[in-house]
Amino acid sequence: MDKNSAFGIIKNASRERRKALSEYEAKQVLAAYGIPVTREYLVESRADVEKAAQKIGYPLVIKGCSSEIAHKTEKGLIHTDIRSDAEALKAFDEIKEKLNIYNGAVLIQEMIPGRRELVLGMTRDDQFGPCVMFGLGGIFTEIIKDISFRKAPVEKSDALEMMREIKGHNILSAFRGMEAADVESLANILIQLGEIGLEIDYVQEIDLNPVIIFGKKPIVVDALIILK
Amino acid sequence: MEQKKHDAVMIDYEKIFHPQKLAIVGVSEEGAGFGSGMFNVLQAMGFEGEIFPVNPKGGKFSGIDIYKRVEDIPVKLDFAIICVTAKAVPDVLEACRKKGAAGAEILSAGFSELGTAEGVELENKIRQIVAKGIRVVGPNCFGIYCPRSGLTLLPGPDLSRRSGSVAFLSQSGGMAIDFAHKGKWMGIGFSKVVSFGNGADLRETELLRYFANDPETRIITMYIEGIKDGDSFFREIKAASYRKPVIVCKGGLSPDGQRMVVSHTASMGGSRVIWQSVLKQVNAVQVQDLEELAEASLAFSFLPEKVFKNISVVVGGGAFGVIACDAAEAFGIEIPPLSADLQMRIGELLPKPGSSGLNPIDVASPFVSPQVLKEILRNAGADDRIDLQIIISLLYHYKTMARALGKPVKEVAPYRELAVGIQDVVKETGKPIVVILANPKRGVDDLDIIEMLALARREFLDRGLPVFDELHEAIRAIGHVNGYYRRRKAENG
Repeated sequence: MDKNSAFGIIKNASRERRKALSEYEAKQVLAAYGIPVTREYLVESRADVEKAAQKIGYPLVIKGCSSEIAHKTEKGLIHTDIRSDAEALKAFDEIKEKLNIYNGAVLIQEMIPGRRELVLGMTRDDQFGPCVMFGLGGIFTEIIKDISFRKAPVEKSDALEMMREIKGHNILSAFRGMEAADVESLANILIQLGEIGLEIDYVQEIDLNPVIIFGKKPIVVDALIILK
Repeated sequence: MEQKKHDAVMIDYEKIFHPQKLAIVGVSEEGAGFGSGMFNVLQAMGFEGEIFPVNPKGGKFSGIDIYKRVEDIPVKLDFAIICVTAKAVPDVLEACRKKGAAGAEILSAGFSELGTAEGVELENKIRQIVAKGIRVVGPNCFGIYCPRSGLTLLPGPDLSRRSGSVAFLSQSGGMAIDFAHKGKWMGIGFSKVVSFGNGADLRETELLRYFANDPETRIITMYIEGIKDGDSFFREIKAASYRKPVIVCKGGLSPDGQRMVVSHTASMGGSRVIWQSVLKQVNAVQVQDLEELAEASLAFSFLPEKVFKNISVVVGGGAFGVIACDAAEAFGIEIPPLSADLQMRIGELLPKPGSSGLNPIDVASPFVSPQVLKEILRNAGADDRIDLQIIISLLYHYKTMARALGKPVKEVAPYRELAVGIQDVVKETGKPIVVILANPKRGVDDLDIIEMLALARREFLDRGLPVFDELHEAIRAIGHVNGYYRRRKAENG
């Protein structure tokens, strides 16, 4: 996946007058910018479920994937910790049923273990253009609002400062038996989010939520790209 | 080529801020209106250049002939102050341009701020003339105050002529005149103050670039509500704050419009958060109001360019010491205990009982003599770790003594001796001392205290000692200085 195919995905979506990319498409765009994302396959049929499961290996996450649904959890479209073919097929069937009225497919995804969840993103400010966000993830994101922003282009020093700036910045250090998070890699994600904002006008907002620290590596587990 | 263009721009600014030939258009013989008012205040300020009043009716004002038209002025102009009705402004501006004026300030209102098509159209006409080669401050503004030339804001006949190192650029005229007046007694000297109102031509971006390069300006301060172009503002403020402190008071929130947001990122990235982030990103100092702006300006003007990590505080009363510690902690400033031998030496100087030489140093009595206070400060300043000292002066208590002696408090309170003593310690230790002139007595019964403290403030300021009313204000201002230089140091590696 290179930047040209990323532009292609977005152009295609905007030609279809879609307001968002599906998670699968969003991650392809991110990957084109060198942002680490989960390994995953989009499947349409039950037969493909087992194939995909075999390639990735259990445990898995299975999600409904549609550009028409921005927030999946609320709709019961995420099944985690799937440990067998039987469970996978059951999840597939349930999601298929719920997706019924939407355009979409089922996403089979590696499950990223990790207790530290972050949220990273990009938004366009009326005055300052693309701005990048870093913050603590999880269900309290919006309650605690422990976040920092910088205007793009984000320099590496800006990115490092964004991480130090949040109150919960110690979550990135080694603690409770967890390794220190790879801040270089996180900084690169922040820089690249800014680049997407600067290079692709069609992209209005981005949520990487959550980004899970796996060992020390950040991996984008879910992504939302909103188009203009 | 670029350099040439740049030089030309700087020359234009020189003519704008220090004009030798100045037209005031809209001076009426009867003396009513902004134009006549401006003529009067410029004379009161002792403006250094030659003034040419203009009014279609002609006549005389203050013994000087009024020209009927700008075209009739017999010399080449440097600058013009335009106070005619909005409709007449474009023609007058064009005439000034043809007369060679490098710039004009347009005080007249009635442009885009009205939100009418006519107002917007008139402002566009101003821009068209600007494009032909004249710089404009305004319209709908209070203009320029430049202590060196004597140009002043309206109404400002009594602003200081003492030039200083602080530049202020302000969308609001009221804020400009308030800060100019406030600075005068607080000890803040201005290089230039520009109230740019609607900002049809010169505004935040252009002025930031000018002040970043202006050798007279060491500190840039600004009040802004909205900006014209986020990217160029970002570029200029970043470049400026790399060279000198830029203190920003951002008024109001830009409307987020009716846009729908879907992502968490967008919902959390409201205008207030983004502004704070951007100002942090460029290492600008953000303040919340004019008070904090002035206090920060004072600290940046008087203090050396460095980070003051550890301070000593001399107080009179234990609670002040506790509050000092709390305030300092909030800004990452420490008040470490002094070395044991210094504690002992200071302890010997202090009245007993109830005092403490630990740091904060509690002198316990308001009547400790200036000589003793000087010795205390000299000892505390000798501690290697201490970067800066604060003394909370309790001069107001001398009213009690003055009453007993039957003398006015201004004759009894030893502020001059204290100022001289503190200045000596600063020279000796090389460490700045900040003075807090506390005064809980501000009613009509105590106008004598207010007078005495105003006199005291002048004595301290004249000796290069910054004065604040309250301890937390001083600590917050020092915190701004620390924040700026710490981050600038980090940026420069």
